[in-house]
Amino acid sequence: MATERPEYVRRFSGAEQALHWLLAVSFLTMLATGLILYLPSLAEVAANRRLWKSIHLGAALAFWFGTILIVSSSAGGLSRTVGQIDRFDDDDRRWLKWQVRQMGPKPPQGRFNAGQKLNTAVIAGLMVVFTISGTLMYLQEVDARFRGTSAILVHDIAMYIAIPLVIGHLYMAMLNPSTRHSLRGMVLGTVRRDWAREHHAKWEREL
Amino acid sequence: MRDVRMGRGVFLGVVGAGVAGLFVGGRVSNLASPLGAVVPNALRSLVPNGWRIYSVNPPWPTFDPASYRLQVTGAVEQPLSLSWDEVLALPQARQTTDFHCVTGWTVGGVHWQGVRLQDLWDRAKPTSEARYANFVSLEQPYVDSLSMKQTTMPNVMLAHGMDGKPLTQAHGAPMRLVIPEMYGYKGVKWLTRIDLVPKLEEGFWEQRGYDVDAWVGRSNGY
Repeated sequence: MATERPEYVRRFSGAEQALHWLLAVSFLTMLATGLILYLPSLAEVAANRRLWKSIHLGAALAFWFGTILIVSSSAGGLSRTVGQIDRFDDDDRRWLKWQVRQMGPKPPQGRFNAGQKLNTAVIAGLMVVFTISGTLMYLQEVDARFRGTSAILVHDIAMYIAIPLVIGHLYMAMLNPSTRHSLRGMVLGTVRRDWAREHHAKWEREL
Repeated sequence: MRDVRMGRGVFLGVVGAGVAGLFVGGRVSNLASPLGAVVPNALRSLVPNGWRIYSVNPPWPTFDPASYRLQVTGAVEQPLSLSWDEVLALPQARQTTDFHCVTGWTVGGVHWQGVRLQDLWDRAKPTSEARYANFVSLEQPYVDSLSMKQTTMPNVMLAHGMDGKPLTQAHGAPMRLVIPEMYGYKGVKWLTRIDLVPKLEEGFWEQRGYDVDAWVGRSNGY
């Protein structure tokens, strides 16, 4: 039998890809500069607080401005995306239970599996928490009226939650054999149809 | 197939927890702070241990014990230029006090070892013109000042030892001013010279809008 070229299907829109990479680049920039501002051992090595602080704040601004731009130019498409991420059906709930107990067949999933929906919702919430606490930290340095809150602590805790989530995300996207094909989806927009049928069956059959 | 719009609940729950944390976080962390004592010393510089290092005008000065001099100049009868050995030969004092940064973080129970300013004044003999002491850093430009009276308050010292070891470069080696009742920006690091003057001069952070008398909890907008 002649080898057939695999069929590819479009999984992510341009707006979804743009939003994802904007977040990825700005988040990693803020993480790197944030750690330098935060860990005494790194602050010693990279001793230039003004520079790292400016980059850290610049990345935050770039993230929000960029997000507003992308969302306003693709509001219709992205609201469909948000709707998909928002809705959990019985298969999603069973899939999550299956991750813990691995009993019986793995429930079929849509374009986003339940783990991806949860991760997106949590990260989105954390970005808001980072922004609120970070803004308070920025203001409180020069204005004592903003000092009464535990902004630094909240910002720290958000980081402790975000880092394992991002590490897990990177593992799935780049290393885990069954899921790392997803990376192609986010870089090029398309994935192999047979892979989609296996991992996102309810979406693939609608295509 | 029941569709539950859980995504927004998760999102709002995270945001809500974050906002709530702004108000109750302090209390919860105070309850949990004894856990911090468990972290072994070797790890302390890797994990956030309370200290944050702000470098204002990099690069940080390097301490050379052979060429370092601690100078006392200005309105004094006997200007001083002490070598490092002479500094260590001065009467030594120890204290354990808290360190507060104006940006909102605190490190409690820091063990300092150093020299009381009165021991320098006994040798330099300030004249009646001396009303303020300008502390000049090797990091340039960074100067901050205290009134002469403030220099002899309890727990004010020029520290060269911290937590049982010589001050590291990051913390201002070889010497820094320590004044626990004021915010850390008054505590000039990499100290090289003390200049006694008749008139108050605005220091580095004062020029940028911070209070001259940086009393903890009673300045900079409190």
